[in-house]
Amino acid sequence: MTAPDLGGAPTAISVDSALSCVDIHKSFGGAKAVNGATFSVPKGSITALIGPNGAGKTTVVNILSGSLSSDSGRVMMGDTDITALPSYQRARLGLIRTFQLSRELGGLTVFENLMVAAKVQPGESLMNVYLRPGLVRQAEKESRERAASILEQYGLYDLRDNWARELSGGQKRLLEISRAVMAEPSLLLLDEPMAGVNPALIDRIGGHIHELKAAGVTVLMVEHNLGVVEKICDHVIVLAEGRTLATGLMSELRENTDVVRAYLGGVLDGRVDR
Amino acid sequence: MSPLVYYLFTLAFFVFAYCILGWGLNLQFGHGGILNFAYIGFVAIGAYVTGALSLGKPSGGQSYIFGFSLPFPVGLILGGLAACVFALLVSVLTFRRLRTDYLAMVLISLSLVLYDFINNFVPLFGGADGLTNVPEPFADALGLDTNTFVPFFAGVSLLVALLMWWVMSRITNSPFGRTLRASRDDDEATAALGKNVFKFRLISMLIGSFYAGVGGGLIVEFAGAFNTSAWLPGETFLIFAAVIVGGVGNNKGMILGALIVPVLFTQLPKFIPDIPGHPGLILNIAAMAIGVLLMLVLWFRPQGVIPEKKRLSKLPPLSERHRSTGAISAQLTTEETL
Ligand SMILES: Nc1ncnc2c1ncn2[C@@H]1O[C@H](COP(=O)(O)OP(=O)(O)OP(=O)(O)O)[C@@H](O)[C@H]1O
Ligand SMILES: [Mg+2]
Repeated sequence: MTAPDLGGAPTAISVDSALSCVDIHKSFGGAKAVNGATFSVPKGSITALIGPNGAGKTTVVNILSGSLSSDSGRVMMGDTDITALPSYQRARLGLIRTFQLSRELGGLTVFENLMVAAKVQPGESLMNVYLRPGLVRQAEKESRERAASILEQYGLYDLRDNWARELSGGQKRLLEISRAVMAEPSLLLLDEPMAGVNPALIDRIGGHIHELKAAGVTVLMVEHNLGVVEKICDHVIVLAEGRTLATGLMSELRENTDVVRAYLGGVLDGRVDR
Repeated sequence: MSPLVYYLFTLAFFVFAYCILGWGLNLQFGHGGILNFAYIGFVAIGAYVTGALSLGKPSGGQSYIFGFSLPFPVGLILGGLAACVFALLVSVLTFRRLRTDYLAMVLISLSLVLYDFINNFVPLFGGADGLTNVPEPFADALGLDTNTFVPFFAGVSLLVALLMWWVMSRITNSPFGRTLRASRDDDEATAALGKNVFKFRLISMLIGSFYAGVGGGLIVEFAGAFNTSAWLPGETFLIFAAVIVGGVGNNKGMILGALIVPVLFTQLPKFIPDIPGHPGLILNIAAMAIGVLLMLVLWFRPQGVIPEKKRLSKLPPLSERHRSTGAISAQLTTEETL
C-alpha cells in the first residue's frame, strides 16, 4: 500500500515541537514495523497517536523513548538530537513513557514504585549513603511528601503499602501513570493508558491528562478509543503500516474522514462521525 | 577443650562465614536479580589471594604467587578487592550485552574455566594441591594453640560479620537498594525512569564479590589450607540454596539460610562418622538433601522461609494526613459544600 499525500503529511519539523522524529525505520527480521514515520508533537499539546493494530505505534513509542533503537531516522527533543541517547538519559531530559502492558515493579510496594521514580536522589550514590546521611534523609523526606500527594491524587493512597504485583489491572494503570508523573516529565508518552480500564476510570485518567497539560506537560498518547481522542486530544497523528498517514488538528482530521476511513477501515469506521 | 565445644565453635565459624557469603550473593541475586552462577569462583579468588598474601615465600615444593607474609586484616581486605577486580572484568565484558539468563550461562562456564585454570596452572596457586600451612592470624602473637585458635577466630569472624551486616543493611535500606530492586523487577521500566541500570548492577556485582572474597579469605585463614576440592563449581548452588531458603532480598533471613543449608548439610555431615564400607555416602546423602530442600522450598514457599520484608511507607492514614495539612482540608470543605 502506498500512502497518499493528504496535504497534511509533514515533511519538515515545526519549530515549536516538543518531540519529533524524521524518517524512522525499524524492521524485525524481515517484517517492517516502522517504515518512514515522520511527525512532530507540538509543545504543550495532547497529541493522539492512532492507527490500526500492528500499525507500529508501540514500536514508534519505544523508539522515541529509547527503549528500542531504530534502524535509521532521527529523534529530536525540541532542537536537541537525542537519537543516540539511551533511554535513561532521555528520561533525565524529561522524556518519560508508560508501557502498553503495565510494567509495575512488582517486588516493590506501591509507595516504593513512586519513590524510585523521584528525579533527585542523592541516596542512589553509596558515597552519600555513608558520608552524607543528612542529605539523603532530606531528599527522601521531600520525595515522600510528593509521592504521598500524587498517590492521593490518583486514588492509590490507601494501597500505598501493597505489593505492586497485587494490584488490579486498572490500579496498575493508575500506578504506571502516577509513577511517570513522579518522575517530573516535561514530555509524557502514554501507550494506551486507558486500555482495559472501566469507563469511570477512563474519565478520571482523562482528567489527569488534562491536569498535566495545564501544568505544562506535553503528552503523546496512543489510543484506540476515538471517543476519548476527540474528547481530550487536540492533535492527532495517524499511523498505518509504519508510515505517517496524516497529522493535524482533530478538526482537520474529521474533514479527512473519508480518506482516513478508506485507509484505516474498521478502526475509525463509524466512530469519527459520532 | 572438649571435642563437642571445639566442634560447636567450628560450626559457629561457618555460620558467620556463610552469612557473609550469603549477603554478598543476596545483594547480587536477591536485590539485583543477577544470577551469578560463578559466585563460588569469586569466593575462591578471595581465598587464594588472602592465603597467598598471608603466606611467606614458597618453600618445600610449594608454588604460589605473592608470599608477602601480610598481617591478618590486610590480606583479607586485599582478597576481597581481588574478587572485586575480577568482578569488574566480568561485568564490563558481559553486562551491557547480555540478558540475565544468558549472563547466568556465561558465568557458569566462566566458573568452570576458572576452576580448570587454577587446578592446572600450578605456579599460580599450587594447582590441585592448593595452598597449605596458611598462618593462623594472631596465633603467634597471642600464643594460641589449635584448641584456642578456633574459638578465638570464630569470635573474630563474628565481629567481621557484624561489621559487614551493618554495611550491607545500609546499602539495602538506601535509595540505592530500592533502585537496584526496581531494576531486578523490570530493567526496561527502571531505565525508562532515568536510572542507569548498568551502573546499579555493576556496583551490586562489585560489592557482592567483595563479600564473596572476604568470606573466602576468612575460610582460608580459619582452615589454614585451600584447594580446588573446596570449591567445586556446584558449591555455588549451595549458597544459592541458602539465599533462597533464607529469603531472597532478606538479610536477616540469610542468617537462617546460612544455618540450615551449608552448615547443616555440608559441615555437620563431615563430623558424622562414615558408614562402614560406604566412604563418602553421608556427604552424598547431604547433597541430595540440599536438592530436595531447595525443591520443597521453591514448591511450597517460593518467597523463601522468611520472605522479603515489605518496606512500609509509614505514611499516616488519609484522614490524619488531611488533618495535618490545612490547605488540603480547606479544599476538601469547599468540595463538600459544592
Ligand atoms: N519485538 C518484535 N519482534 C518482532 N516483531 C515485532 C516486535 N514488536 C513489534 N513487532 C511487529 O511490528 C508490527 C508493529 O507492532 P506494534 O506493537 O508497534 O503495533 P501497534 O501499532 O502498537 O499495535 P497495537 O495497536 O496492537 O498495540 C507488528 O506487525 C508486530 O508484529
Ligand atoms: Mg501497541
